[in-house]
Amino acid sequence: MTTVDRDRTLFVVTTVEIEGREEESVVQVPAFEPTPWSPRARLDHVGAGVVRVDGHAKVTGAARYTVDIQLPGMLFARVLRAPIARGGVSRLDASAARAIPGVHAVLMGRDIPSIPWTQGAPLLGTRILYPGQPVAVVAADSWAAADAATHAILARWSAREHAVGIPDPSGRPRRLRGAPAPPTSRRERRGNVARAIRTAPVVLTKTYRVSPVVHQALEPHGSVVWWQGDRVTVYDSTQGIFRVRRQLAEHLGLRSSQIRVVSEFMGGGFGAKNDCGSYTVLAALLSKKTRRPVQLVLDRKEVVLDTGHRPETLMRLTLATGREGALAAIDFEGWVALGADGWVGGPGQLMRRMYRCPNVRTVEHFLYTNTGPMSAFRAPFYVEGAFALESAMDLVARRLGIDPIDFRQRNLASADQERSRPYSTNGLSACYTDVARRIGWSKARKTSKAPTRRVVRGLGIAAQVWGAGGGPPAYAEVRINRDATALVATGTQDLGTGSRTILGQIAAEVLGLDLEDVRVVLGDTDAGPYAANSWGSMTTASVGPAVRTAAADARRQLCEVAATLLGASADRLTLRRGRVRVGGGRKSIALRRVTEHLGNVMIVGRGHRGPNPESVTVASFGAQAVEVEVDLDTGVVHVLRIVAAHDCGRTVNPALAESQLHGGIIQGLGYALCERLVQDPRTGAVLNAGLHDYKIPTMADMPTIDARVISSGDPMANHIGVKGLAEPPIIPTAPAIANAVYDALGVQPTALPLTPARVLQLIKKRRTRRR
Amino acid sequence: MASPSRVPGQPTALPVSLTVNGERHKWMLDPRVTLLDVLRDHLSLTGAKRGCERGECGACTVLINGRPVYACIALACTCAGTRVTTIEGLSRGRRLHPMQRAFLEADAIQCGFCTPGQILSAIALLEHHPRPTQAQIAEAMSGNLCRCGTYPKIVRAIRIAARGRKQR
Repeated sequence: MTTVDRDRTLFVVTTVEIEGREEESVVQVPAFEPTPWSPRARLDHVGAGVVRVDGHAKVTGAARYTVDIQLPGMLFARVLRAPIARGGVSRLDASAARAIPGVHAVLMGRDIPSIPWTQGAPLLGTRILYPGQPVAVVAADSWAAADAATHAILARWSAREHAVGIPDPSGRPRRLRGAPAPPTSRRERRGNVARAIRTAPVVLTKTYRVSPVVHQALEPHGSVVWWQGDRVTVYDSTQGIFRVRRQLAEHLGLRSSQIRVVSEFMGGGFGAKNDCGSYTVLAALLSKKTRRPVQLVLDRKEVVLDTGHRPETLMRLTLATGREGALAAIDFEGWVALGADGWVGGPGQLMRRMYRCPNVRTVEHFLYTNTGPMSAFRAPFYVEGAFALESAMDLVARRLGIDPIDFRQRNLASADQERSRPYSTNGLSACYTDVARRIGWSKARKTSKAPTRRVVRGLGIAAQVWGAGGGPPAYAEVRINRDATALVATGTQDLGTGSRTILGQIAAEVLGLDLEDVRVVLGDTDAGPYAANSWGSMTTASVGPAVRTAAADARRQLCEVAATLLGASADRLTLRRGRVRVGGGRKSIALRRVTEHLGNVMIVGRGHRGPNPESVTVASFGAQAVEVEVDLDTGVVHVLRIVAAHDCGRTVNPALAESQLHGGIIQGLGYALCERLVQDPRTGAVLNAGLHDYKIPTMADMPTIDARVISSGDPMANHIGVKGLAEPPIIPTAPAIANAVYDALGVQPTALPLTPARVLQLIKKRRTRRR
Repeated sequence: MASPSRVPGQPTALPVSLTVNGERHKWMLDPRVTLLDVLRDHLSLTGAKRGCERGECGACTVLINGRPVYACIALACTCAGTRVTTIEGLSRGRRLHPMQRAFLEADAIQCGFCTPGQILSAIALLEHHPRPTQAQIAEAMSGNLCRCGTYPKIVRAIRIAARGRKQR
C-alpha cells in the first residue's frame, strides 16, 4: 500500500483554498503516501457512526474549557470599552480604580508597548473607531473587583460623527463621513457581459440586502495566560492554536517557541475565533506585570461588540438568459459594510462559480464603518451571496415558466470556470434529484398551494458550491505504546466538530486497533506537530491524510518487527483487531506480543499532508429543499421541513456528519428568519448585544430536518477521499427558505431576516397585485 | 483566596447551607453571590457554564429540588436549604445517568458547552412528562440555547431516554 521513491522532488508549491482565498504554500512531498481508499472500500472504523470519543467528558461536566481553567493565584481581568462609535477619549484617570481593594493592575495605552491593532492604530489607543473598542484593562483578585474598577476609571469621551451601515443603496461607494478608512473596490470579469445582456431575450435585475449577524458561540471568547520567566502559557478558546502562538509572539515581540497555546475543549467558534484576540494580548500583558496567571473572559455583550460579525451586504444582480433558460450573463455589484476592519473576501466568487455562464462581471465595494471589525463567519460571503443569486435564479425561473430545479439543472457548472479545469467529483445534480424525491417536489408543488384561508404554503430550493479540499501543511505523529495502544499527536484542535474522534477512527483503521485503544492528543502546541486553523472546512481533508500516513508509517515498522517474529515477509502481514496475521492464513501473533517484544523501543510513525492535485478543483456541493407555511395575518414564517443532500466525499463518521449538517442548517435558519445585529444609526450604539434581543434559533423553532450525505469517497481529492463539510450546509438554507416564501406568496423577499414586519409588507404587495 | 465572586464593598455575610449532589455545605456568603459563583468557585463544579451571565442562554442550568434553574441569576442565599443537582452529580462512578447515555447514543453533543444544561433540563422534563409531546419538548427545552445546532439530536436523546424509562 505504500511506495518509496528516492528520486522524488522534496519540496513543491501547492495551492490551498481557504474560505475562497487561494494561498500558495511550499510543501514537502511525503516520502511515501498510502494509495487512496477506493470509494467502495469496506473499512472497519472509517464510515462507522461511533460515539464521539470525548462525549463522556462532555456529558459528565468533566470537559474543561478555557473559562474553567483555575490556576493558583489566578487574577481576573475586565476591560473598559468605549461607549461611543467614533471619537476620542481623554483625561483617563485610574487612581480611583487602583484604590479598590483587590485590584492588582490597571493598564492603559500609555502603560503598554505600541501594538498595532484595528486599522493599524495601537491597542488601547485613544482614537475610537467602534463601540466596544478596548481602552483600558484591569486585573484583580476577583471578577467583581475588576469589574468595579473598570467602572471607577474616569474618562472623558468625545463623540464624533460616525458611519454605520450602507448609507445609500442606489449610490456609488464614497468616503463616508467618519469612516475608519476609505472604501476599496474589486472588479473581475469573463466574457462580454454588456453584449450578452443587450442580446438576451430575458433580462432581470433585482437588489437584495442581508443584515449583519453575529457568531454567538456559547462559550465566550477568552484566555487564561501565565507568563513565567521567558515562557508564556496560554489557555485559549481558539480555532487555531499555532496561529494564536505566532500572532501573539508578533504582538509581544517574543519568539513563538516561547509560547505554548492550549485549547483542549473549545465551545464553538464559527470563524470568530480564528485569530489571536485583544483579550489574549491584554491577559498576557497583565500576567507579565502581576506575575500571576490572569483570566480574561469576555461577557456576552463584549462578545457581540468586539469579536466580529457577518457583514451587512447589499447586492444588485442582473441575470440574462436565453429562452430555453441557459444563463447568458451574470452581472453583480455588491456593497459590503465590513465594520472598522476586516478581510476582503466578497460574494463575487460565488457568482463566478455556481452556474455555467460565459459572461460574468462582479464588482465588489468594501466599506469601512464604525462597527466592530468583521470576522469570517461559516462560509463567509457565500452565505450572503447565495441569498442574492439563488433568489434571482427563482425570479428568472418563474419568468421563463421553468421549474426552479430544472432551471438549475440546465445551468450546472460541470467544470471550474475560473481555473478552466474539471472538478475532482461533482455530485450537485444528484443532490437536486435526491432532495426533489425526498421532499416530493413535483407533487408538493402542486398540492401545497391549497391553503386554509389564513395560511399559505410554499416550496423552495437552493444549492451550494464551496472550495473544500483542504491541503498542507498538516502533520501528525503516531506513537505505539508498549501495551499495544496508540497515541496520535497533532497540532489541530476540536471545536466540537468531532476531529478528535475522526482522527482516532482513521488511525484505528490503519493500525487495526479498537478505537478505545487509540488516544488522540490535540489542542496543544507543545504536544503535537503543526496543523493549521480549523477553518475553511478543511480539518479532516488536511489532517486526516497526515494521520493516515503517520499510522501507515507506524504500521510498516510494526509489521517489520512482527515479520521477524512470525518468520514471514512483512508485506504479507495484515493487522486487524489487535492481531498481526500472515496473509489470510492461520499464522498470527497478538500485537501486544510484538510491542512487548520491543520493550521500551518505541515505534513512532510520522506523516504529513501531501500537495493538492493540480489538474482538478476540489469542491463540496449540496442542495436543500424547504417547505414553509406563511401566516397571512401575522406575517410569521413557519419552516415545516428542510431536506438536505450534500456531496462532501467520504464520510468518516455519519453521526458526526449529520450533526454538522444540522448545525449549518440551523444557523442558516436563524439567518433567514430572526437574526440581525441592530446598531442605532443616530447614536451608533448596538441595541441588541446579548442573546435575548439578538435571537438565535431555539428548540421551539425547529422544523423537521432531514439531512444526509449522498457521496462516497473522492479518490482524487486526497488519499482518504474526504471533502469539507462544515461550512457547506449553511449556504443554501436561507435562500431556500426565501424561495419557499416566494413560492407561497408569489412576491419575492429581497431582504433578510424575514421578520414578520417584512413578510407583512410582502403580503400587502401581494394583495395590491391581485386587485 | 482568589475568587471571581468576591464582591468589593460592604462585607455583609450571611450563613448559607446547601445540599449539592447529596453533600451538605455551609458557607458565609455575600448576599450578592450567585449560585453559579458558589458552584464554580467554591466547589470547582465547572460543569455549569457561564455563557451569558444574565439568564439568556441556559448553559448554567442546574436542578434545585428537581426543577431547572439558571444558576447565574439565582442568588445563593435564596437557595438556602435546597437540594442542588449539577451535571457532576448525575453519574454513579462510571455509570452514567440514562439521559447522559442517551445524549451519547444520539450524538446530541457538538462543542459540549451547553450540554450539561441541556441534559439537566431534559431530565426535569421527563420527571414531569415521562412521555413528552413535541410541544412539551419545545416548551421545556427552549430555555437552553445551542449554537452548534444539536436540537434535532437532543429530541432524539429525549425520546431514547423516555423509551428507556418506560421499559424500566
